[in-house]
Amino acid sequence: MTSAISATGLRRIFPPDVKAVDGIDLDIPHGQIFGFLGANGSGKTTTVRMLTTLLRPTEGSATVDGLDVLGNATTVRSRIGVALQDASLDVVMTGRELLTLQARLYRMPGNVIKERVSSLLRIVDLEEAADRRVGTYSGGMQRRLDLAAALVHSPKIVFLDEPTSGLDPISRDSIWRYVEELNRDEGVTFFLTTQYLEEADRLAHEVAIMDRGRIVAQGAPEDLKASVGADVVTVRLEDQDFQPDRAVAALQQIDGMTDVRVVRDSVVVYIKDGSSAIAPIVRALDESKIQVEEITLARPSLDDVFLRKTGHHIEAHDHNLLPAEDGKRPS
Amino acid sequence: MIRHTVRDSSYLAMRALREVIRQPAFEVQNYFIPLFFFFVTVGAIGNVSGRAFGVTNYEAFQMPVAVLQGVAGGASVSALAMVTDIERGYFDKLLLTPTPRIALVLGRLFADGIRVMVITLVILIVATIFGSGMEAGVAGYVAILLLAGLFGLAYAGFGLSIALRTGSPQAAQAGFLIFFPLLFLSPAFAPKEFFDGWLEFLATINPVTYILEGMRTLVLVGWDWEDVGKALLAIGGLGAVNITLTILALRHRTA
Repeated sequence: MTSAISATGLRRIFPPDVKAVDGIDLDIPHGQIFGFLGANGSGKTTTVRMLTTLLRPTEGSATVDGLDVLGNATTVRSRIGVALQDASLDVVMTGRELLTLQARLYRMPGNVIKERVSSLLRIVDLEEAADRRVGTYSGGMQRRLDLAAALVHSPKIVFLDEPTSGLDPISRDSIWRYVEELNRDEGVTFFLTTQYLEEADRLAHEVAIMDRGRIVAQGAPEDLKASVGADVVTVRLEDQDFQPDRAVAALQQIDGMTDVRVVRDSVVVYIKDGSSAIAPIVRALDESKIQVEEITLARPSLDDVFLRKTGHHIEAHDHNLLPAEDGKRPS
Repeated sequence: MIRHTVRDSSYLAMRALREVIRQPAFEVQNYFIPLFFFFVTVGAIGNVSGRAFGVTNYEAFQMPVAVLQGVAGGASVSALAMVTDIERGYFDKLLLTPTPRIALVLGRLFADGIRVMVITLVILIVATIFGSGMEAGVAGYVAILLLAGLFGLAYAGFGLSIALRTGSPQAAQAGFLIFFPLLFLSPAFAPKEFFDGWLEFLATINPVTYILEGMRTLVLVGWDWEDVGKALLAIGGLGAVNITLTILALRHRTA
């Protein structure tokens, strides 16, 4: 059976020499929710635009539902649904008109369009607002309508580019539910880009972490978290006595420690058997006369995977993290 | 492919016309500006046009100018609408459907053709009420409507090509502004025979001259197939250039 989505050496270079996507490989089976995780500017949207025929790759090849995205672009477009970053809608039309036009452009038979549009409006909870102009919708309503527009022709492969970015928790949760239901009940494959770790963790069967145009880690969320190989102890230092270099030096002596990083106002310690390590950590800090505000112990999250693989947090890309050896407080 | 293109273009044209109906404020200027210039110009020059250059019915002389102004203004709206689609990302949403990409342009062009014919009809009615008359009779009105619709299609391509190439509203508006030099370099206010040599040369190579004279002949003289034919040729030439530019710009944007 062919993959739902595959790519080999996919690369896109923007002039003069910006490698937005720098040679990625993908092989996503049908029926999977694939999370494409990365910070802003990591190359997620450029990848989606190439896979959905909106942008030509500079190098490499890609197929969707077994069809080459360059050679069979029109057929690929007829088989996929896409909701791009930021709901891209015509605000002058009503929700119903927008979905009807979308259905017509996907060449759906006239006799089924009305029923399909009504059914989708019901699913995304927009029945009451269906005959109002899209410009009067809230951000969450527009996102739900955009999702409905992507699904109007019942595609088996759907690309969602940061579908919940900027949404309130309730709207976010409702979109997650639609995605889960469609995947579970109808076997729809989702390619989902996100910067929300929670989103990837909850929805994705497999996650790829993208950083500076490259995939730096890929696997099931649980496997990726297990690959960290240690528990995570976060030591938040007192503001008045912020000396992370001294804290790092003290903590590096503890048995079982695999890595130490300074993150914002805290020192993050990766350590085997974290529960047994709390007492030695407290002792080490106390002996070094380092004032501590809080100590927490947690299992590794995707954020820890991201940090280990990229050297920075996904939400704190450029300025909130410094390597432990630097030892200076970030501004 | 042709069937899909025509069908999808008609859906998109309906959408474009709906925009106009729901946002009438954008359309008002396309009626107001040509009629304003019509009345001001007739008021300023109409009393002396007979003695100055032998045109006694200056209302009739100016009516095609007002029509062309209305058409150019109306045909520029779709360029701005296209830019709005691009900026909002809706153009990408349309590109993601299997619809032939040329339908995205043809839909706008068809809508423009209809819109400018409505603008033209209003201008013709107002100008007739104020005494312009029509030597070619009722068929002359129909001919001017058709010429205006075709000119609208041809001219809109220019603005759309700029919109597609740049995605900039400021640049797209230039599509309308460039019409004014073309209009002023045509016999818009006086017959060409009264022009200085350099201006007469520029008017002679300006396609708007022939479109204007074709319409003006219908209003002032009656049916003259040579002038109407030249107008059609000028519109065809302008359309060929502008639609080629639009297709190239569409390819550039979707590459």
